[in-house]
Amino acid sequence: MIVNVGDIIPAWSMDNVDPARMRTMAAILRDPYPVHWDRAANAAFGLEGRVINQGPLNLSYIVNMLLAWGGPSCVRRLTVAFGRPVLDGDHVVAGGQVSSVEMHDNERWALCEVWLDRNGEHVVTGTAAVALPT
Amino acid sequence: MMTEDELVALVGHRFPGGHYRIAHWENWLLTDCTGRAPMPDDLAHPVVMFHAPILGAGTSISELFTLGHAAGAGSVGLESYDWEYFRPLCEDIDYAVDGGIVEAERTTTETGAIVDRVAFRIEFHDGEALVARVTNRWKFRRTAP
Repeated sequence: MIVNVGDIIPAWSMDNVDPARMRTMAAILRDPYPVHWDRAANAAFGLEGRVINQGPLNLSYIVNMLLAWGGPSCVRRLTVAFGRPVLDGDHVVAGGQVSSVEMHDNERWALCEVWLDRNGEHVVTGTAAVALPT
Repeated sequence: MMTEDELVALVGHRFPGGHYRIAHWENWLLTDCTGRAPMPDDLAHPVVMFHAPILGAGTSISELFTLGHAAGAGSVGLESYDWEYFRPLCEDIDYAVDGGIVEAERTTTETGAIVDRVAFRIEFHDGEALVARVTNRWKFRRTAP
């Protein structure tokens, strides 16, 4: 796999953030926070009728982009910060760009800037280390 | 609202510790929630490293909210994750899990709101080998500006 600094990682899109997936995810996480499954709970935040996607799911869209690019066991490190909440029905797109390529132990790593966008606005930003296939 | 001394005293708190085995069903459902096809070769989706460390360390999201004196819906938010993977994470392996709270600080935002930031770090081991480590930072909103 030939990778160069500045390469753009093919984007990964979640066209419609699905509240049913949030409910399943809440059960898997044992997450009691009603903002992910009770629409009425969010009225106090001006989000009446909407539910908030879990942070791990927001990150998962970035991870899926990396797995599609580098292979199913390529992720070595994820460092991300969460900005604005993602809501049910949102269309979000994960993106990334290679900022450096370096050897780490016996692996060649691409260090990447990564982000999750909604309507052109970054809602998650961070960096990822990806082990490149030989 | 907890005092700043109570907040700082959280640093060093250790979770009970324990073991965690990523089940096939849970990996399959979680991966489905992310919108991608099932993982190949018994590999776990990297995002299992949110809930598996918490549960494996013998704690829970609810308990973490209680430790941080969360005031209710909307008072807790994610700030950042730093997740490191040293070996492939797989289904049906009994990982040893331990961790605790590593940072706690009180901050005041530009608008005057008090926000407490708490970080916990949890490690996954397979025998002597460190498999993965997560450091998660959460923010607890104490007052509105």
